[in-house]
Amino acid sequence: MAKDMEKLYAERLKRYVTAMRNEKPDRIPIRPFVAEFTAKYAGYTCQEVTHDFEKAFAAARKCAADFDWDAVVANMVYVWTGLTQAIGMKYYGVPGIDVPPNTGFQYLEPPEEKAFMKPDEYDQLIEDPTGYLFNVWLPRISADVSPIDEPTSYRNNLSFLKGGMAMLTYFNAFEKQNESLRSESGTVSAISGILKAPFDILADKLRGYIGLVIDLFERPAKVLAACEALMPHLTQAALSGADPDKNVPITIWMHRGCVPFVSQAHFEKFYWPTLKPIIEEICAHGHQVLFYAEGDWNAHLESFAELPDQAIVYHVDKGDIFEVHKAIGHKFCISGGIPNFLLAYGTADEVRDYCKKVIDGVARDGGYIMDASAIVQNDAKVENIKAMTDFTREYGVY
Amino acid sequence: MSEQKEPKLKPGACIPWEQKKKELPKISGDEKLIQKVWEDIDALGYMYIWQCLLSF
Repeated sequence: MAKDMEKLYAERLKRYVTAMRNEKPDRIPIRPFVAEFTAKYAGYTCQEVTHDFEKAFAAARKCAADFDWDAVVANMVYVWTGLTQAIGMKYYGVPGIDVPPNTGFQYLEPPEEKAFMKPDEYDQLIEDPTGYLFNVWLPRISADVSPIDEPTSYRNNLSFLKGGMAMLTYFNAFEKQNESLRSESGTVSAISGILKAPFDILADKLRGYIGLVIDLFERPAKVLAACEALMPHLTQAALSGADPDKNVPITIWMHRGCVPFVSQAHFEKFYWPTLKPIIEEICAHGHQVLFYAEGDWNAHLESFAELPDQAIVYHVDKGDIFEVHKAIGHKFCISGGIPNFLLAYGTADEVRDYCKKVIDGVARDGGYIMDASAIVQNDAKVENIKAMTDFTREYGVY
Repeated sequence: MSEQKEPKLKPGACIPWEQKKKELPKISGDEKLIQKVWEDIDALGYMYIWQCLLSF
């Protein structure tokens, strides 16, 4: 690695980690979570970066180099549809197959009556989550995997073989991607490891949101027991992908466990009590967690403030970032808060003005990372991402 | 607050070594080696299904 890139990488890592520890670095780190935007910038379609991860990697590296960001997600178009197609996963809208080739991939949540987990299957899940996933869930979500008591098939066997080998190929490729980001542009790979709340797993992948909300009223004890049964496995999965150097955080993608998707009482009884211990366990292992709070989680800031100082980096999407800063800025680094609609439909001047407002309001004492509110797709204008970047580089010096 | 309860099947395992060992004849030589390799590869199967659930 060239000495200047090595030096640049070290500076950027120090800047990024200092901010995440809620301290004041030399300037505000710039760490955009860019997904299909990278395709637009690099001249690929959504189909190309979603179905061929090497193109997604190349697009991320080009953005990192040209925009000169401090950190970037190695591949924010993280669902490799080549893999999901090999497994036979039914719940994706794939660019070029289910959606137009220049539309990002979509999750397809089934209607309530076709939920991947039936309401009378809670006990099976609670008894043995891994066994349930293999024996019941996987055959339902895959077009190729045979149900457990039915004859196996050529397609069943290939789903496991191809899926397993493709998953290892993909995950192993991240090491080279991270090294390339470091050596080609001195860019830090922003995150390592994945977590979702037990409650969100039930809603996203098992019962569906509607099914789960009904279960909260019809079988609340089962919901709580299921969340509790998932906890040790989600903790294990998160820690197994964590940064061994404990620099960059594990990311929790927070979905529909907040008001108004559920009531405050439901958050306090189901979502938070089965997530907080996982966060505490991860912290005890020396890792931070990036709370990627999609939507508006401001109703729950008081709960998040229960966590130890510096336990998390709190990412702001639609929540009022100034309210967030007031409530938890003294404990945790904050990121984000630049609205995606502004980056897509606003002018460069409007983007600069908004960045200034956020920086003046929440970043003066450090502990802030510049980013869009939500994952940046191919509707964002290149000149606006450039404006956000260049302004922050100039105005965000401490 | 919910405690992290001890699961029936520990995280990281699909077919625990204790179960697999019962299927084998008496092991001679380095049993720990066989156990470690079994558990390491079993963990790949575990990773597969939990990553399908989490990441894909």
